[in-house]
Amino acid sequence: MMSSLLPLIGRRLLVSVLILLVVSLLLFVVLHALPVDPAAMSLPPNATIAEIEAKRKEMGLDLPLPQQYLIWLQQVLHGNFGDSIHYRRSVVGLVTNTLPATIELAVLSIAIAAVLGVVGGLVLFHVRGTREEPVIDFGSILLLSIPEFLWGLFFILIFGVALQWLPFTGRLDPDLRLPHGTGFLLVDALLAGRLDIFWSALRHMILPCFALGIAFSPTIMRVLRSSLIDVYHEDYIHMARLRGLSERRILLRHALKNAFLPTLSLMGVQFGFLFGGTLLVEVIFSYPGLGNLMVDAVRNADLPIIQLVGLAYCVVVLIINTVVDSLYLLLNPKLRLRS
Amino acid sequence: MTFELERRALLRMLGLTVAGGATLTDCLKAFAQETDAVAIGWPVDVPAWDPNQRFSPEAQSIFKLVFDSPLNQDPKLDLVPNLITKWELAKDGLSLAVDLRGDVKFHNGDPMTADDFRYTFFERIQGPDKIDTKNSWRKISDIEVVSPTKAVMKFSSPAPTAPQWLAFLGSYVVPKKYMQQVGVEAFQQKPVGSGPYKLVDYQLNARIVLERNDDYWGGKPPIKRVTFEVIKDPSARVAAIQSGQVDLTTNVPVREVTRLQHEPNLAGEINPITRVILLQCRDDQGFADDNVRLAAHHAINKEALSKAFYAGAAVPLSVPVSPDTPGFPSDYKFAYDPALAKSLLAKSGFGPDKPATIGFATTNGQFPSDFDIARAIQQMWKEVGINADLQTIEYSKYFELNRGDKLPEATLYSWDNGTGDPEIFTGYLLNPKLPFSAWKGMDVGAKVLDLFNITDYQTRIDGYKDINKYAVEHGATIPLLQSVQTLVRKKSLSYEKFGNGWVLANTMKWG
Repeated sequence: MMSSLLPLIGRRLLVSVLILLVVSLLLFVVLHALPVDPAAMSLPPNATIAEIEAKRKEMGLDLPLPQQYLIWLQQVLHGNFGDSIHYRRSVVGLVTNTLPATIELAVLSIAIAAVLGVVGGLVLFHVRGTREEPVIDFGSILLLSIPEFLWGLFFILIFGVALQWLPFTGRLDPDLRLPHGTGFLLVDALLAGRLDIFWSALRHMILPCFALGIAFSPTIMRVLRSSLIDVYHEDYIHMARLRGLSERRILLRHALKNAFLPTLSLMGVQFGFLFGGTLLVEVIFSYPGLGNLMVDAVRNADLPIIQLVGLAYCVVVLIINTVVDSLYLLLNPKLRLRS
Repeated sequence: MTFELERRALLRMLGLTVAGGATLTDCLKAFAQETDAVAIGWPVDVPAWDPNQRFSPEAQSIFKLVFDSPLNQDPKLDLVPNLITKWELAKDGLSLAVDLRGDVKFHNGDPMTADDFRYTFFERIQGPDKIDTKNSWRKISDIEVVSPTKAVMKFSSPAPTAPQWLAFLGSYVVPKKYMQQVGVEAFQQKPVGSGPYKLVDYQLNARIVLERNDDYWGGKPPIKRVTFEVIKDPSARVAAIQSGQVDLTTNVPVREVTRLQHEPNLAGEINPITRVILLQCRDDQGFADDNVRLAAHHAINKEALSKAFYAGAAVPLSVPVSPDTPGFPSDYKFAYDPALAKSLLAKSGFGPDKPATIGFATTNGQFPSDFDIARAIQQMWKEVGINADLQTIEYSKYFELNRGDKLPEATLYSWDNGTGDPEIFTGYLLNPKLPFSAWKGMDVGAKVLDLFNITDYQTRIDGYKDINKYAVEHGATIPLLQSVQTLVRKKSLSYEKFGNGWVLANTMKWG
């Protein structure tokens, strides 16, 4: 098993380095082509034009773009991603402080999307050819057409304002303090043995996670249904029927296992989109993650943060894709044999 | 059987007692929370916990709770003593003698002395720390410490607004000993000030929790614990106040204030503050002609803009200074007169059939209704014969466009000045040495620069009143409205209103 996995991870690492280089170049060029003045943004409002010019020189903004990129790349290779223009702190510290919150949010959301997607996919498959099919199909299209931030606003209005069941700002109740540790709040709360913090954190995550999860579940539903329909044309399904196995057993024990593989690939891709989708949802729910940091950085033309957050998104998506490919390899014996 | 019944009865009684007790406890807890604590939905986080580091008008209401500025402003924005009890600016404006309080302690117990004052306003300014106060105090050449409670600030050139700056952005005294001992980074992790509250918990972009400083020299504030929930999205702030998750919030859309005013337990306010909305003008291209610029100004119905976008609460302005501040010439009014606008345009050969064409930039979301105001102005101009090509820009682009001489003829702009001093209105907005002014003509610029060296207060203020009128009459600026701060709070929570929009939790009380 490991002999199949290690080459895959090795190849992925090599490709990832190349992808990161290309992404960093793109980010650098696009950001520096924008008509914003990071030097002016990094100084107080009463800075004179002469002081701003001096700052531009100090930041190297007067150098040709390729030279600026090479200097930046050299610094990055030495682990120096620079300081934030707005916060005047190391951007690495800012990103590492906020990344766990976003990963936690995204992982729970994809779990919700997976559960809803698989259950929904099975229901869609189950009702195929019946009178209920168009209604449920319409429902899934409706879910698909509502973006995650709109779900967020709906949930705030229904469960936060009208029913007042759930909190919708921040990560914890005001009387609780963040436990120190990994930055993953649910994990830290459990490690500290603080069930009250765990429960509060979970309650704060329900609405944003469902907003993200519901928005991404319809695609999973529809792909799973299509895969199941394909799989049901395979010979082994007919054989299973001839062996007298129940439809429920055929679906859950035989068809789902194989139909799930394309769904898994899709979920890997979806995770990338979902991770990007946290941006607006974090702002709406005042969730202190990477997305919130990014939105602020864009407003303040804080290029060092935008560059690192862009790369962080890229790294997370590459890692998830590698994990999904590895899982694919583990779940599909045919691929292991081939490799 | 008898035992069963008794046991049931007993269990029921126990259940009722527990439930009743829990309800009572909850009620008491809620009451205690309401009287002892306040939760504020705030639109921005502090940029850093070094108060000298970044100028952020929105963060002042938070900084002022943890740190003390040498001077303070009262609700009408007059300068009042704070850490400094007495101050005197020399006639030549080259020195400022100050007397400091002797009973102030930082949160770590260290006394605040003139050494801390010197460290904050001289040693840090000269040192390597990257702090914005380096710019506001660039004229400082030394601070002579006469005694632990007396010091003299010395300037390399006249600094007539030094007292105003001692109460303005970033001017908070920090403890020299503690900061040198732990360093700036550790200070930001565990800041120590001398203000009425101490920071007890901070989550970047999420929450700030403050506890009352019971040893505060200025007396104990009524509320023990203050929590700022950082809620950047205006709709989420509306939802938070409506659901009771916060007790007070600001910067919500005007229409939401109007709606929430009808909620039985909420009070909505639209308060004019020292922020002005204006058009920054170029002096060339389509605006090279005085008649076109003046026509553009006469064509704007500011009353209508205020009614349409600020429920009539935003005061129409004739000069780029907010009313009730020193540089405001109360006897001056620039008329809304579309007929005059048409005749001015006609003098230059323009009219509805042959319109003048200009570029017009606006932000979208930088301040309430900015884009809508720009579109309304575009329509008003069209009616008199000015075609404006409207483009949306990010606020951060303004400086780059201005630096590259690429701003269009008019740009909708908003300017905040917590001091109310005219130098920080016109003196900055039309200063050719600063990055804000789109107007490059030295006729106005030279007059503005001269006023920076006038040390006599009344002469300086009169000078600004004159330059304000001059700039408007020559079309160098088109002031529109005094901006407003929207605020929604629980009716039972009161606070003191400040003319510059500070919302200070130490002035809040329940009941």
